[in-house]
Amino acid sequence: MSQPVLDIRRLRVSYAGNRALDLDALSVAAGEVVGVVGANGAGKSTLVNAVAGWSRGTPSVEAQISLDGRRLDAWPTHQRVRAGLVLVPEGRVAFGRMSVDDNLCTAFTPAAQGADEGRHIYSRDEVYALFPRLHERRHHLGHQLSGGERQMLGIGRALMMGPRLLMLDEPSIGLAPQMVEQVLGTLKLLARKGLAILLVEQNVRAAIEVVDRLVLIERGRKVLEGAASEMGNDPRIAEAYLGASTT
Amino acid sequence: MTILQQIINGLVLGHAYALVAIGWTLLLGVARLVNFGHGQMYMLGAFVTWWAVVKAGVPYALALPMAMAVGALVGVFMQRVMLKATFEQNLVSIMIMTLGFGYVLHGVASIVFGSTGQILETALSRRDIELGELWLTWQDAAIVVAAVVVFVGLRWLLDGSRIGRLVRMVAEDPKLAMLTGVNVRRVYYGVFAFEGAAVAFAAGMVAPRTPILTSMGFEEVIMTFVVVVLGGIGSVTGSYVAGVALGLFTALFSALVSPAYTTAAVFLVLIAVLVLRPGGLSARVAAGAH
Repeated sequence: MSQPVLDIRRLRVSYAGNRALDLDALSVAAGEVVGVVGANGAGKSTLVNAVAGWSRGTPSVEAQISLDGRRLDAWPTHQRVRAGLVLVPEGRVAFGRMSVDDNLCTAFTPAAQGADEGRHIYSRDEVYALFPRLHERRHHLGHQLSGGERQMLGIGRALMMGPRLLMLDEPSIGLAPQMVEQVLGTLKLLARKGLAILLVEQNVRAAIEVVDRLVLIERGRKVLEGAASEMGNDPRIAEAYLGASTT
Repeated sequence: MTILQQIINGLVLGHAYALVAIGWTLLLGVARLVNFGHGQMYMLGAFVTWWAVVKAGVPYALALPMAMAVGALVGVFMQRVMLKATFEQNLVSIMIMTLGFGYVLHGVASIVFGSTGQILETALSRRDIELGELWLTWQDAAIVVAAVVVFVGLRWLLDGSRIGRLVRMVAEDPKLAMLTGVNVRRVYYGVFAFEGAAVAFAAGMVAPRTPILTSMGFEEVIMTFVVVVLGGIGSVTGSYVAGVALGLFTALFSALVSPAYTTAAVFLVLIAVLVLRPGGLSARVAAGAH
């Protein structure tokens, strides 16, 4: 049994004293895509934000978070990012007043951060090869991009930081169906190369196509966890999130 | 004095305004911060340069970097004190803290340097350039050159370098910048160090034009504020244009109308511009750039 890339234990997050998330354990292995699903406000974003040590609000977080066996729950955001724990947040992922080229710029040189532990560091050209659409628009400003292009930009920038674990918060939100397919399909491709991926999705139908394991969160607690293939048949998932009729 | 001479005076004065304002421009553009201690930091820069040249016998060319180092340290110290308010973007607290800090600097400078006026003379300020009827000192010419070099350099740094890209990221969205691995705290420190060093450099360059007093900070902070606001909050190019325009306006107004009402006239113009173009003179430039 190899060590998981990400290991979370006893994660508790509150906003102004109100418990938003209470999770005992969750781990992601190399090459695995774990999907976190649940209703709006269930605590999905809270989960990935807490792992990244990041938030646009002011939560109080208690957790034991290890990346490749190294505890980093006391580290500031930028250090976690440099260690390979990379988040593409929900909503604003592009710098609107910067060109696509400039957006694809990292604050550090991942190679100098000891990226020998199996971290694949993408160059800007590799990102453009992965998302040819971005290459076409490389001189456009961030705010001129469509929602799908912004997600590509966010994922592209994340890959340039040589992630060990890539976390994505609702990448499909506001995207056209074929764009969802392309963005999520890319994740599967990346996982096949050994990347560990934690995907937060409200679009369960799309997520279930790409994830290996599905975690259902309701009101800040994990209520179900299992292989995606089995979870699709679970009535709780099928009825509430896939809109299946129970015939 | 001829109009042409007034235009030259105005250009020199304008470049001086722009040079003094550059640190605050970046501060506002990147960290969305104000520094009402800016004028007193200018005063401190002028006195450190004066002390080094006159009292310690250090060559002017070495006194400038000394003043800049002191300015940068003061800037970093201020930012250390205000860091929490900076991250919270608590502008009211920051305004009061920097204002208070300016008065503390004023008090300390009065104790250390005394409250009598001093003259900072340099090899450049003693020598004149005469072109027929027209006249300026080499120090004046150096101010213009320094202002142009600093503005072009800063523009290049922001637009063309990796550090510039990171700084623009923090300017636009500090939270998102953290997720790209930027140590935002360090950028804030860097910007405040730049503010301190830049205003001290400007002081070392500009202060030889007039007698220096420990009480001169207020006038400086007011003029800088006008330049920064006129230029369009945080716009580098805008504040250069605004500085030069303000210098020309001041020189021509005091020559043609009355020197006594120049500051009042400047504020009338500022209010008029803010009513007509709330984003400042270079509103369009600022929206596209930073």
